[in-house]
Amino acid sequence: MYEVLMYDGGVHKVEQLYELIEDVGGFILQKTQVQVMITITMAIPAEDRPLIEAKTAELGGKVVEVPLAGTEIAVIGPTLGRHHMPHPICDIAEHLRRYGAITIVMGLARGRGRKTCQISASEKAIIEEYDAAIFMLGNFKECVTHEKIDLFKDIQIPVVTVVGPELDSLPHCEALVCGVGRKVERMRRSEEIAKLEEIADRVKEVISVRRQEIEEDPLFVHPSEVKDALDDMDAVQECLRPAPVVLHVDGLRVKIPYEKHLKELEELEVYGRKLKDIATISNCRLGDSTMIRIKTKAEVQEMYVPKVD
Amino acid sequence: MVEFELEGTEQYALDSYQWLLERILMDMSISNMVERARLIIRPDQTLFIVSLKVKHSSGKRPVNDIAELVGQEGGTFLTIKDEAFAPRLLATLWRLYGRERVQQLTRLEIFVEGVPVNEVSDLSLDPEEEVRSQLLDAMWRLLPEGLKVRNEIYTDDVMTIVATEHGMTVDFLEEAKKVHKNMIGEAA
Repeated sequence: MYEVLMYDGGVHKVEQLYELIEDVGGFILQKTQVQVMITITMAIPAEDRPLIEAKTAELGGKVVEVPLAGTEIAVIGPTLGRHHMPHPICDIAEHLRRYGAITIVMGLARGRGRKTCQISASEKAIIEEYDAAIFMLGNFKECVTHEKIDLFKDIQIPVVTVVGPELDSLPHCEALVCGVGRKVERMRRSEEIAKLEEIADRVKEVISVRRQEIEEDPLFVHPSEVKDALDDMDAVQECLRPAPVVLHVDGLRVKIPYEKHLKELEELEVYGRKLKDIATISNCRLGDSTMIRIKTKAEVQEMYVPKVD
Repeated sequence: MVEFELEGTEQYALDSYQWLLERILMDMSISNMVERARLIIRPDQTLFIVSLKVKHSSGKRPVNDIAELVGQEGGTFLTIKDEAFAPRLLATLWRLYGRERVQQLTRLEIFVEGVPVNEVSDLSLDPEEEVRSQLLDAMWRLLPEGLKVRNEIYTDDVMTIVATEHGMTVDFLEEAKKVHKNMIGEAA
């Protein structure tokens, strides 16, 4: 099983680390260099972690745990109006990035109000493209427990709900964090930072459960292995969007147009098999991107079992 | 410090909205202009009433109350007595007579060219106008976004907004009027 780690250190002799990652069969997911310092997010086989740690110590760097690396998480507010943005939605999104997650912020078109709040089918479909969703629901207990829960009732991905009033539980969500309501300033007090930590912990738990579910019926290849193949594509190399390939728990988002590159993607070879055989490739709801859902080992093997009449 | 009166069905909502209002007023640097605030929040009825009373409301101030006016050959000479009004007085004179005719001789001395004393003394300044507009902005920032049906009641130094989601009922309006009167009553 692959483990995602982040190296934080200097660039001196960092090529040795690249070679070691390659030797152990790992992948570099992201490199960010600022002058002589560099952070490298990598996926390596879990059993080879001591080797990587020894090498980073030798290079004078350190290995940082990024439990949410390889995930894309949506933080959703009732609207993008100034009542809900930028705090605390952006604070939560920013905090999750510290744990390696790629986060996006989303406002519903008609999510505000009590009886009038709504979520459309297309909004649900967009949210379901992510690994987990965090819903920010506000300060009114009556409103949250009676009306707002309908916003995420049918969402098929894990949902973490963040509300102001203290509640024992809330239906239709995997985790609940209370005590974070509307804010008009940054969450920078110690008790607010503790709340952000609590939200990150709940998200980590939810993602961990999702990963364990996948482990029961493992994916045919790890998403980082597909990323390695995708990185060689000209369209991906020419893509100017930040993070052209984003890892998900069970697949990837490639920021190249679906219609234009479908054939090329289908024919892409990963360990001797075509991508279309080991993954489901679909159009992204947000446009100009492609979603790749990797099939499980069982699904791929089933395709190759000879049919008996 | 703003004196708060809270009434409602959910304590967390009341406390958090008090905190929100304090932070909004602080953010807009107008906390010292608000004397009292009253919040009525009933999420079960979708009712939100906020009423604010402005501090030191003195209404419009005539110019001859703010400055000493002396008629001179070719214009009027003003010596400002209340410095707090100096920027607003200068801006008003500039707006009415143009920058070429209004000369600021020293920090508190102004000469208005070609305007007789009686015309300048008839002018008056409303210091609360700007405060009222800022207060309204603060209240709109505070009100929950979904409560779009709103009614405003305002008098010289009290401003009340009642907000709900669907239809404004007579009961809600009556309650808002009662709150408004109560806030004025305290001022009288």
